[in-house]
Order: sequence, then C-alpha cells, then structure tokens
Amino acid sequence: MKFAYYPGCSARSTCAELNVATHRVAHKLGLELLQLESATCTGARELRAIDPAGFYTLNVRILALAEREGLPLMTICNTCTLNVLDAHAAFVSDAELAQTVNARLAEENLHYSGRTKISHFLWVLHEQIGAKRLRALVTNPLTGLTVAAFYGCHITRPPGRYGFVDSRNNAAIEKLAEILGCRPIDYSGRTECCGFHTAGHDERVAIKLAGQHILAAKAGGAKTMVTPCPLCHTVLDSFQHEIEEDLGQKLDMPVLHLPQLVGLALGLTPEELNIDRHMIPATAIDDYTAAPNQGLA
Amino acid sequence: MALASTPLSPASRLGQIEHADTLALRNSRLAPGDPITVRVARSDGVAKQARFQQFSVPYQKWMRVLDALNWIAEHEATDLAYRWFCGSKMCGSCAVRMNGREVLACWEAVEPDMTIEPLRNLPLVRDLVVDRSPYEKKIASFEPWLERDAVYRGFPEPLSHREMKNASKALDCISCMCCYSACPVVRLGDLTDFAGPAPLVQLGQTALDPRNDQNKVARMLAQSGIFNCVSCYKCEEVCPAAIPIVTHVIEPLKAKAAALVPGMARHAHALRAIVAMRGRVDPGALVLRVQGLGAFKNLPRILRLLVRGKIAPLKTLLMRKTAATAAARRILNRVRP
Repeated sequence: MKFAYYPGCSARSTCAELNVATHRVAHKLGLELLQLESATCTGARELRAIDPAGFYTLNVRILALAEREGLPLMTICNTCTLNVLDAHAAFVSDAELAQTVNARLAEENLHYSGRTKISHFLWVLHEQIGAKRLRALVTNPLTGLTVAAFYGCHITRPPGRYGFVDSRNNAAIEKLAEILGCRPIDYSGRTECCGFHTAGHDERVAIKLAGQHILAAKAGGAKTMVTPCPLCHTVLDSFQHEIEEDLGQKLDMPVLHLPQLVGLALGLTPEELNIDRHMIPATAIDDYTAAPNQGLA
Repeated sequence: MALASTPLSPASRLGQIEHADTLALRNSRLAPGDPITVRVARSDGVAKQARFQQFSVPYQKWMRVLDALNWIAEHEATDLAYRWFCGSKMCGSCAVRMNGREVLACWEAVEPDMTIEPLRNLPLVRDLVVDRSPYEKKIASFEPWLERDAVYRGFPEPLSHREMKNASKALDCISCMCCYSACPVVRLGDLTDFAGPAPLVQLGQTALDPRNDQNKVARMLAQSGIFNCVSCYKCEEVCPAAIPIVTHVIEPLKAKAAALVPGMARHAHALRAIVAMRGRVDPGALVLRVQGLGAFKNLPRILRLLVRGKIAPLKTLLMRKTAATAAARRILNRVRP
C-alpha cells in the first residue's frame, strides 16, 4: 500500500523524531510512503482565521500534489489533518472557491478535482493494516504497559467533521494499544485540549491545561502517555518541566508519539524510534524494549 | 460522480457503535417502564459541597432529561431547584451537565444511568441552578447593537447572504451557556481575559454584521481576549443550536481583530509571515518574532531544548529554500489580506 505522506512542520522540526519513527514503522508495516517534499505548512490555526484564501490554496495544493501522484494522503498531525479535511470540504461544496483555487494552482500545472482520500496514520493502522495483520506483526508485545491515550482535539472534533455526539466515545487509540499488548487506562484528559494553539503567544494556558491531563493520567496509573499529534506532544513533553514548576511537583510522565508505541511492539529499539530525543526520558518502556539478539524473553 | 464532502475512513469513528454514539442507538436502549438511575447534584450553592442524591425514575417513551427532573420534583424531591421554561429548545434556560456533557434538559434523551450536575464556570445558586449574571454583564459590555457608520438608506438594505453568512449563524444562539460551561479556557478563570464562547457568539451577531461601525467593532474585540481561544471545538460539540462556533464565529472574529486591532494578533501575523517566507513553520523563528528578546529570558530551558535537538538555531538562521518555499511565497505574497 502506497501513500502520499505529509509530515507537517512539527515533525520536521521540534518533533523530528516523529518523522523518523513514522518512516521506520511504515517500512515494518509494508507501507510505502512518498513524502511530499514541496508541500507547505497547512497554516496551523492562524492562517485559516486571518487569511482564508491563502489557507484554502495551500491546503488544496497539498491535496492536489497527492492527486497528481494518484495516491491517498497520509498525515501524522491532528491539526494538519483537520486543515486538509476542512479545505477539501470547502472545495467540494463551493464551486466558486474551487475555481479560484484551481486558477492559482494552474500556475504550477497543478489541479485538484476533489478525489484525494485523507487518512491519519492512526486510521491507516486500523483500516489498511487491520487488527489481524498488526497482531501478526507484533514481535514484542507490550504486555501490561499501562498507557494513557491522549487524542487531542482535531482528530475527534468538530462533530460536523467526525460525527461523534460525544468525542469521548472515540476508542481508536485504546483499541490499537490493546492490539499491541498494552493496557489502556481511562482518565479525564483523553480527548481534552493540550492548549498548544495559544502557546505561541502565551504558554500559561497550555501549561495549566496539560498539567491537569498529565496529573489525571498519572493518577489513573499510566506508565506512559501516547498521542497521535506532534503539537500535543510538544506541550505534554517539551513543556513538562514548566508544567512541573507550575504544579510544584514532579511528574516524570513519558509521552510517546503513536508510531513510536507501534514501533516498540514491532520490535524496533527506542534508539531506532528516536525516543531518546524526548525531553522526558521514557524509562517506563525500559522493560518493554525488544532484545532482538536474545530472542523473545 | 459526486464528490464526498468528508472523505473519511470509518476508522475515524471507532468506538461510536459500542458507546451508542448515534441517535438511533441512544434511543433504542430503554423500553417503557425500565428504571433509570438518576444521580442529581444537590447543594446550597457551594459546588464543592454538593452531594449526589440518587433516584430511580420509570422510563416513558421519548423521555427527556427534563421529564426525568420533573418526575423527581413531583414524586421524590419537591425542593429540587432547576430551571426550565419553554421545553422546546428556544429559551435556553434548562442546560445542565448529563454524564459530564452539557445538554439542554428539554432536548436530550435520557440515558439508562445519568449523573446530572449544574453547568460549570458560573456561580452556583442551588442544586442545578447557576447565576447567569457574569455572562449577561459580559454581553452588555460588548454593546450588542448595531451602530451604522453609514447613513441608513431605508428598507431593504443591500445585504447579501454571503455578507451575513457568519452573523446569521451567530443569531441562532439561544444563550443556553452550554458552550461557556464546556470551555476549558473559561474554566481557568482570571488567567486570561478570554470572554468565552457564548459571549463571543453574542458579539458575533453584531460584529460580523457588515453594517456595524468598524471602530466600535475594534473597540469591542480589543476587550474580548479572543486569541486565547485554543480551538478545541468543545463549544461546537455541545452547542444544541448546532452553531459552528469556532469556524463561523470565532475565526471570522479573529480575522476582524487581526485586521482592525493588529496588535492583538501578533502571533497570527508572525506565523503567516514565516510561512510566506519559508514555506514551513520554523518554531525558533516564530518564537523570536513573537517574543523578541524575551525569548531568551529562560536560558536553562533553551539549553534543555538544544540538547535534545528540539530547536535548531542554525536551521533558523540559515533558511533553506525548497520547492515549498517557492510555492508559499507565490501563494501568500501576492495579495496581502
């Protein structure tokens, strides 16, 4: 199975380990990824608010790049995912917008006709790989590892896009974690907001919000958190020192990117998955690290 | 071939069936006469001291949360304090939290096991009744009326649907405060000056009307704290009037604020400028542009980030031109918004 792959800005800078891990895990899964090198930023939350025309053009351009390759698009960032989904929805429902955007894209011989399938890596795992094949590929089951799934917002809300009456009912990460052998925990932060999108000008909101969620995950007995979004990861992991200062207590909560959790179960080492690039050392997974030379202990 | 408006994989909805997250599934869980367990938060106005009183209510066909509360007030707890008036999703007075979710009691089907609590983020009066006055004061401070900056030319005024698109969505608001209770930033209290979703929707009714005096709109937006919205869509999720609060109210208001009060939107303008120049976001460049020298005030943190390779000052300084750079420059630099 081949995908046009859009890593987004975060996985190519602050969370570069996510991009590395995704490529390694995709290889293990037999997914071929064609990274869209000329794709731009999707505009985060800012562009869509202050420059909708620019937002639609950049996002439809990403969809057009995938369409030119005749491939479905795979994303690994919640906010990027919602941006391309929203741009696609606007494109197919507004003929005038579609015409304007395509006129802009024509300058570089690009055209979008609205046929690109959009999928986040989390959905690809469930849909293209499937529970059965994934189970067969697990060589290092993470038996009993208690994980707190942190969905973030843009992979499960708004309801107009994803269709949940109550986004807390999303169970995609827990189902995946169980396939990998983990024991997912229930806690209040699962589908709450990390606060990333105001952190650029004022970190305090993100620090307060993420602090509550890490505390809840800890109280629920989680050894590690796992998130499908690099922006959530940035707040939960890179801000954790500041969060600890704010709370006045140590948290030491490792936070894994989703492909890293999958990679561990598929027998990749923490080094191969660049887990050592996190701010909070992932000591919790030490017991679950594959030892390929000694067989499966 | 018709194009799908949401080309989503079914995997994006995993969990929906087993949690009965569709209207049909939710309505098929109870049969007339089935007992419903209802726990209601009772208090004299101090949320922390609330205790839960449990009732068993016999289910009747099409039973709503409000019907269950009415049954309890009639049969078991005549002193239960709760508000309702129209019973038909118009007056917005009966909102409560059911199993941790903001709902209109008059419009929500009962669940087999329910915990009913008052809305959050507002002072509690008693049981399920909250004090709405902070919200009303906030709206009044936004001067929610039209002040034309042009002469009134008589009816009908030349207005297109497109011009009124966002304001008319905001006009669907019934002031039920569900979104205000669901908002995680409002819950942080005085940490920010964020007005909250419900007051912003009320502001949007006039601020997004093109006839309104833009100086007045600018003045109101300046006191809205709107850029503290984290874009979590919790407000949209609970809105009983199905207003796309983030997409059709908060984002258009942010656009107005960015144009009329640029100082409020330094971060948004900086991000756009960086994407327009580099094609992608360089976090180092963004932080420097927004915070200036203030970015250096926490040196230990910068060192920590450097050690783990989270920031790359050389990459920030020596910008690499790519095909993405060229595309972003062409697309974003042509017309300034």
